[in-house]
Amino acid sequence: MANIAVARIKREFKEVVKSEEAAKCAIKVELVDNNFTELRGEIAGPPDTPYESGTFILEIKIPETYPFNPPKVRFQTKIWHPNISSVTGAICLDILRDQWAAAMTLRTVLLSLQALLAAAEPDDPQDAVVARQFKENYEIYVKTAKHWSYKYAGAPNRTPELDSKLKQLADMGVDEHRARVALSSCDWDLARATETIFS
Amino acid sequence: MKVTVKSWTAVATWRWVANDDNCGICRMAFDGCCPDCKIPGDDCPLVWGQCSHCFHIHCIMKWLNSQQVHQQCPMCRQEWKFKE
Repeated sequence: MANIAVARIKREFKEVVKSEEAAKCAIKVELVDNNFTELRGEIAGPPDTPYESGTFILEIKIPETYPFNPPKVRFQTKIWHPNISSVTGAICLDILRDQWAAAMTLRTVLLSLQALLAAAEPDDPQDAVVARQFKENYEIYVKTAKHWSYKYAGAPNRTPELDSKLKQLADMGVDEHRARVALSSCDWDLARATETIFS
Repeated sequence: MKVTVKSWTAVATWRWVANDDNCGICRMAFDGCCPDCKIPGDDCPLVWGQCSHCFHIHCIMKWLNSQQVHQQCPMCRQEWKFKE
């Protein structure tokens, strides 16, 4: 990696570790390899959102040309959010694409992602299915996002009413994640979800 | 008493007059140099934009060259124009 990239990432790593937000356990960053090209980020789900009390893991790859190009960031924790792919974890956020500026840092990126969890942009979606649900059936979106936070991000179970539907599909021999995706995508309509799985 | 100075050695210090301590691009101190240089000072000078933000010239040139469409200040995103 270029001089400037390594020198900067080392500083930014320290900046996150020493930050006020890290002290409050809101953001965290860890090394994955010793040459600072890959990092593991962690953000806490913001309060008063369906992601509250969840911990979301991020894969952060630092390009050779950093900080002139943005870091490549992806959610490793599965999440139900209009701007994050529920399949791949790819993120749609302008500062990670064309609005990146060299003065931004790991800390500001992690905080921006936390802010994205609190303020989705359904008109600029990464996951069209989630975005449609967000716009057309907001209550169901909130329930689904809470359920995914419980299953994948360690948040408490705030939607026990959904469990029986999942169990019915599980009893038919459907893989748990597959059942969850089908039900989530069909607004938890069991008949429609069953149809998508078995058609 | 009469003193005769036979020889003397001048010592001077200098520092950049910038509105910040570190370059916003490489995050190194302005009184040092960018990570690609060895000697601070005239070999690795600072430049100012009309927005009043200041960077190592090597750093801002790399940033501007990496921008395809609009050339903006990496701090405030105003259009980048060199001061003076």
